[in-house]
Amino acid sequence: MKYKSQGIARAYFTVALLLFVLQVIVGLYLAFNYFFTVPQGVVDAFPFSTARAFHTNLLVLWMLLGFMGGAYFIVPEETEREIYSTKLAYIQLILLVGTGVAALVGFLFGWTQGRPLLEIPTLLDLFVVVGALMFLFNIGMTMITARKWTVIQGTLLGGLVFLAVMYLFGIPFYKNTSIDWYYWWWVIHLWVEGAWELITSAIMAFVLLKLTGVERKVVEKWLYVEIGLFLFTGIAGTGHHYYWLAAPRYWLWIGGIFSALEPVPIVLMVLDTWNHVRHRKLEIKNHLTFVYVVGCAVLHLAGAGVLGIVHTLPQINYYTHGSQVTVSHGHLAFFGAYALLNLTIFYFAFPQLKGIVRYDEKLGRICFWTMSLSMLGITLAFGVAGVIQSYVERVMGLGYMTAQGHMKLWMAIAFAFGLVFLVGVIVMVYDLLFMKPARQEA
Amino acid sequence: MSNRTAFWIFILGTASSALLFIFLTVDMHRQVDALTNADKLTDDVVAGKKVWEKYNCNDCHTLLGFGGYYAPDMTKVYKRRGEDGIRFIVKEPEKAFAKSWRKMPKQNLSDAEINSLIAFLKWVSEINNGDWPPQDSDKRIANSALKLTAGAGVNLGMALLQDKGCLSCHNYKGVGDEDVPLEKAGEKYDAETLKKLIHNPQSVNKDASMPPQDGLSDAELETIVNFLKSKN
Repeated sequence: MKYKSQGIARAYFTVALLLFVLQVIVGLYLAFNYFFTVPQGVVDAFPFSTARAFHTNLLVLWMLLGFMGGAYFIVPEETEREIYSTKLAYIQLILLVGTGVAALVGFLFGWTQGRPLLEIPTLLDLFVVVGALMFLFNIGMTMITARKWTVIQGTLLGGLVFLAVMYLFGIPFYKNTSIDWYYWWWVIHLWVEGAWELITSAIMAFVLLKLTGVERKVVEKWLYVEIGLFLFTGIAGTGHHYYWLAAPRYWLWIGGIFSALEPVPIVLMVLDTWNHVRHRKLEIKNHLTFVYVVGCAVLHLAGAGVLGIVHTLPQINYYTHGSQVTVSHGHLAFFGAYALLNLTIFYFAFPQLKGIVRYDEKLGRICFWTMSLSMLGITLAFGVAGVIQSYVERVMGLGYMTAQGHMKLWMAIAFAFGLVFLVGVIVMVYDLLFMKPARQEA
Repeated sequence: MSNRTAFWIFILGTASSALLFIFLTVDMHRQVDALTNADKLTDDVVAGKKVWEKYNCNDCHTLLGFGGYYAPDMTKVYKRRGEDGIRFIVKEPEKAFAKSWRKMPKQNLSDAEINSLIAFLKWVSEINNGDWPPQDSDKRIANSALKLTAGAGVNLGMALLQDKGCLSCHNYKGVGDEDVPLEKAGEKYDAETLKKLIHNPQSVNKDASMPPQDGLSDAELETIVNFLKSKN
C-alpha cells in the first residue's frame, strides 16, 4: 500500500464480503423452495418474492461496494495522490450500507417498489443517488486535483459515471409495462454488459499492469480495443431483451446479431490476460492472484459469453426466455465476470492493505476451486432444469407445475452444490479477513 | 496496431452502437402505442400495475418473461385463467393451492385492488409481443385439440381437458397440475350433473372452489362429459 487513503478499500471490501455470505445463504433458501413444500404460514410471512429481493439486492450492493472499494484502492496509485477526502468516503460507506439495511428490513414489511432488482423504494433511491454523487465527487476531485490522466482511470471513471447515470432510468414510475421493461433493461443490461464491463476492464488492466510489469502502453492499447468492442456489442445488444415485450420486430435482428458478437471482446480479454501473464516481467509474489485473474477471465467467457450466446438467438430464446436457462446463465455470468473480479481485486489488495508481502496461499486455492467447481455444478443443474422446463412447459405445453415437478431433482442438486459453494465462500472470507504471512517470512 | 488506432476503435465502436440504439429507441416510442394498445391503458389498468408492484408479484411470477421464475408467467394469464380464476387464486391462494406442493402467499388484497389487477392483466394479455409465451400462444393453441387428436390418435375429450385449461387445476391419470383427479368424477356423477357441475360448480356443490366454466360450447361440454363417463 503506497497511499494511506487506500486503506478506505479495506472497510468497503469487508462489508462487501459479509454481504456476499448473506446473499449466498438467502440463495440456498430460494433453491430449497423449488423442491420442498414450504408451509402456507411460512409463505405468508416470508414469501419467495421477499427472499429473492434480498438475494438480488445483496448481490448488487456487495458488488458495487466492491467496485467502489476497488476504485478507492486503484485511483491513488494511478493519480499518484491521496483520495480527495477520506472522511467523505467513510460517510458514503455508512450512508450506502444504512440504505441497504433499511431496504432489506423494508422488504420484510412489504416496503417495495415491486420491480425486480429495482425493488428499493423511491425515497431510498434518493439516498443511493446521494451516495453515488459523493463517490463520484470524491473520485473525480482526486483525479482533477492530481491532473494526471491514464486510460485505466479514465475507463474506471467512465464506467462509474455510466453506471450512476443508468440507475436514474430505473427510478420513475412508467404507466406502460412495455416501456417500463424497456428502460428497466437500460439499468440492468447497460450495467452488466456496459458500465460494469468498463469497470471490469479497468480493474483487470490495473491488476495485470501491477502484477506482470507489462508495458503500460501495451495494456492500455488492449484496454481501448476491449472496451470499444464491449460497448459496440453491448449497447445495441440490449436488443436481445426486447424480443417479447411488444417493441418493434426489428429488435429480433438487432438483438440477435449484436449479441452474437458479444463473446468477441470477452475472448479478447481471455487471450490478452493470458498473454500478459505469459510475458510478465516481474517476479511472482503470490501465484494465487493469477489464479483469480485467469479464472475470472475464463469463467467470464463461459458464463456471460458461451451460456449467453446459447440462448440469445430469437429462435431459441422464444422457448428458453424467462426459464431456469436464464438462471443458469445468470449465476455463472455474475460469478465469473463480477464475483471473481471482486475477489481478484480483494486478493490483490488485501495483502497490501495488511502489509503482507507473501501470504499463505493454501486456503485461498482451496476456496477458489471449491467456489468455481461448485458454481459450475449449480450452473449445470439449473441448466438441465431449464431445458426440462423449456421442453415440458413451452414445447409440449404440459403446464407450469408439471414441468416444475420434473425439475425438482435438479433444483435439489443445485441446492447441494450451493451448500458446497457456501462453504467455499465462508473459507474465502475467513482467508481474506485473517490472512497470514507465508511461513518462510514469518 | 498503434494506440491511436485502438483509441479510434473505441470511439467509433461506442458511438456507432450508441447512435443506432438511440435512433431505434426513438422509433420504439413512435410505435409502442400501437403495439401495446395504449388507448386501452386506462386509469384502472395503471392502478392495477401499482397493485402488481405493491405486492411484489413480479419477484415470484414473470411478466413478459421478466422477474422471478418461481411461479407461472402472467403475460397471458387473463386468457388462461379468466377473470374468475384470477380473482379466486388471488383472494384465496391457500384454497387454490391447498393440494399443490408450491404455495402462494395470502396477501389480503381488497376487492377494488383485485379488480384493478385483473384490468391490468387483461391489458397485458392483449399487447402485441410476438406471441410469447409459447405455452399460451393463440396461434399454437388454436386447433391444438384437433391436432393432438389427429396426430396422436388420442381421445378428443382428453385433448379438450388439456386445451381448455382444466388440467391447470385438475389432474387426469397423472397428467396435469394440481392434485385434484378427474378419474373419479365420471363415477361419482351422472352426465347431467357433470354438465351442471362444469357450467356452474356451486349449483352442485356450494363449497366448490372451481370457477364457472362458461366458455365451453355445448359440443365441447358434451365431449368432455362423454369422455369422463366412458373411461370408467
